[in-house]
Amino acid sequence: MVKLTPSLVAVALCVALSGCNPAEQQDPQVVINTNPYPSTYHALPNVTTLLKNAIVLTGTGERIDDADLLIKDGKISAVGQQLSEESAVVIDAKGKWITPGIIDVHSHLGVYPSPNAESHNDGNEMTNPVTAEVWAEHSVWPQDPGFNRAREGGITTLQILPGSANLIGGRGVTLKNIPATTMQAMKFPQAPYGLKMACGENPKNLYGGRNELPMTRMGNMAGYRTAFIQASEYKRAWDKYNADYAAGKNPVAPERDLMKDTLKGVLEGDILIHNHCYKAEEMAMMIDLGKEFGYHAGTFHHAVEAYKVADLLAENGNCAAMWPDWWGFKLEAYDMVLENVAMVDAVKNSCAIVHSDSGVTIQRLNQETAKIMHAANDNGFEITEQHAIGWITSNAAKSLGISDKTGSLEVGKNADVVIWNSNPFSVYAQAEKVFIDGAKVFDRNDAAYQAQSDFMLGQQ
Amino acid sequence: MTLFNKSLLALSLSAGMLLSCAVKAESVAIINATVHTATEQGVLNQATVVFENGIISAINPQNMPFDRVVDANGATLTPGFIAAMNDMGLVEVGAVATSRDASDKEADIIFDPSLAFNPKATTIPFARKGGITRNIVTSGGGESVFAGETFVVDLTGDFDSVLATNTGLFVQLGAADEGSRAIGMQQLIHKLDDVKKGLFQDKKAKDKDDEVSREDTVIASVLAGKKPLIVAVDRASDILHVVNLKQKFDIDVVIVNGADAVLVAEQLAKANIPVVIDAMRNLPESFDALHNSLDNAAKLVKSGVKVAIALPGDSHGVYALRYSAGNAVANGMDYNDALAAITSNIADIFHLEGGRIAVGQPADLVLWSGDPFEYSSKVQMMWIAGDEQGLQSRQDALRDRYLKKTAMPAAYR
Repeated sequence: MVKLTPSLVAVALCVALSGCNPAEQQDPQVVINTNPYPSTYHALPNVTTLLKNAIVLTGTGERIDDADLLIKDGKISAVGQQLSEESAVVIDAKGKWITPGIIDVHSHLGVYPSPNAESHNDGNEMTNPVTAEVWAEHSVWPQDPGFNRAREGGITTLQILPGSANLIGGRGVTLKNIPATTMQAMKFPQAPYGLKMACGENPKNLYGGRNELPMTRMGNMAGYRTAFIQASEYKRAWDKYNADYAAGKNPVAPERDLMKDTLKGVLEGDILIHNHCYKAEEMAMMIDLGKEFGYHAGTFHHAVEAYKVADLLAENGNCAAMWPDWWGFKLEAYDMVLENVAMVDAVKNSCAIVHSDSGVTIQRLNQETAKIMHAANDNGFEITEQHAIGWITSNAAKSLGISDKTGSLEVGKNADVVIWNSNPFSVYAQAEKVFIDGAKVFDRNDAAYQAQSDFMLGQQ
Repeated sequence: MTLFNKSLLALSLSAGMLLSCAVKAESVAIINATVHTATEQGVLNQATVVFENGIISAINPQNMPFDRVVDANGATLTPGFIAAMNDMGLVEVGAVATSRDASDKEADIIFDPSLAFNPKATTIPFARKGGITRNIVTSGGGESVFAGETFVVDLTGDFDSVLATNTGLFVQLGAADEGSRAIGMQQLIHKLDDVKKGLFQDKKAKDKDDEVSREDTVIASVLAGKKPLIVAVDRASDILHVVNLKQKFDIDVVIVNGADAVLVAEQLAKANIPVVIDAMRNLPESFDALHNSLDNAAKLVKSGVKVAIALPGDSHGVYALRYSAGNAVANGMDYNDALAAITSNIADIFHLEGGRIAVGQPADLVLWSGDPFEYSSKVQMMWIAGDEQGLQSRQDALRDRYLKKTAMPAAYR
């Protein structure tokens, strides 16, 4: 069906246009399937649920006290005070806090799972500096016990990325954090793919150590540019093929190239860039690199120096995903400041995100955010909880291209919701109940909602 | 609150002047403090703590003239926190080989990393911001199961901040990247056995003029109970071998990490072996560590094991130690036990002074703006051995530089 429709259109055009040769016999049009491993995700069993009397942080900057939240058909149906719904299961959340489900834009769960074992180290295809042809989803081990621990920390959505050994490391995939036996069953429907790129030390050290390009940061830039030059030619060839076919000709399709398919997707705006890039000067160059080839430079991850170029990031519509306090493990991570996220956030049109890159801190992105909020407020900022929660919800959703579906408690959005037993920015706070698409997927007080990996079963 | 800040500011200013004069002999009284003593005294409200010559000289004295008074206005005063099992001062940047002295291929029993300690490392002022006043520095080891000796520093960043060297022998046991874990365990057992036999023979044949090797001298001091054998180990079966070692040789043993310690908590409690754990560790990182859990700290305490909390390994994030204690509390640990786990217990386990607010203890004190385990709290004032400490780090300087907006580039700010 996918193959047939464009050719019918082409034939119809041909008939309508003069100067077209209707006699030319067309072979079936070659169309690249952009979704060969489709999501099979279904929401887990869910009921209409009314959460009552909580402090609600909507993810859009609002805080509503004594608020109710109605979940119906897996969606946020209403947020406000004194809601009622006869058919609903009512949960009294007095004294508790409700936030959108937490989103981590940078995780390696499933591709670098626990236990750490050679057998499961599937996150870095360290065989070539450009491996745009690999897809992280093909490495995901859904039984990674870390998915369950992350859910217990309120994580409902997460992007799994390849590692940062390569200049272009491959595609990332966005997952719903439900327990499943296949990757496809976790795959976030209609979420765009990400492409992992890496600046700086990792690629140049790895390949330089092998006496290969890149050995330097200028080698890094040459590597990206060479790849995008090839991708641009590839895209041009496909565009010409499609135009010729549409014109009724019978062109020969370009030879498929898996690596360039992905980069073509970037050039067409279908695949979003997620760029491991610590340093101010490198982010500036990656923004220009995107302009050179006509794509958007996307989100900068591990952006330790983002505070130095906060204006530039906002002007160019780039998100920056950051840790609160990781530093010193590499020279490119030397200039950490605890207030980085707040300083990026302070600029108009900014998009500041807190990310984990860790199976440990992904369990406490709320606390990671608290570190920043309080450090910033000790130094002249006035950041509220309702604002800061956006760093791990709505801004993260924006970065992943899913903000129309999740990341805030707005009517019509997926009911990805966390009930916290207290202020989520307290060290003592714990996620008490977690919902994904309205289905309860974790309950701290009910063993029936505490998923365990096959791997942990029967271990003594 | 505003008043409090102002008074603190005024006091800090005067302290700054005093610091420059290095008048250590003055007596300082911190009054109206909520004092978490980390002793059997528990928490003292509206209390006064006095120190002079770097030592706590009185708590709630009746009458005493003081050179200086700090009004805490009810704020929390704790002992300075003690970090352990990290490479602070041995590594400036992890990936810069020339700034890295924590590990060496040849590191073994006699490896003394204190010779590489740099009190000017940028990790030290940053860690002070987390209320940490002392640290037990540990090497990352090398190819041997013996990873050298620990040493103790204060966090003043002064050139004389190494307080004690060769304070414990660090051994790493368990899973081996290549070969069998049995070899490592065997090397440890044999070494203890051999030196013990040698010592016994020496006693019998005193005129023997064989010199005792440097290695054997270290082992001998472990056997004599003069320093602990600090064993990083996770799997229960390995931990039990270590328990046996303690019983066989009657030595002072400390377990570090101990993912499976909860499985053998009874044996550990009975053998009086303390456990130093990373309370945030809850992933089955390896087949040695399937029992990592956020409630392990609480469970071990309940079983009667002495528990200390540390962030083993890299030292750049050690400032966050207090949040680990907070998370342990969130997962069932008693608040006072969690405080002890980063103060008095760690001091006891590694045989150092401090970790308590009591007369005669070093005046390592931290005044907090609120609950020391909370993100919303920060250090208001800190003293190490009675000297007030600065609370600014390189990170603060960078932040301030980029928060300013001027026509000229940041480099001029």
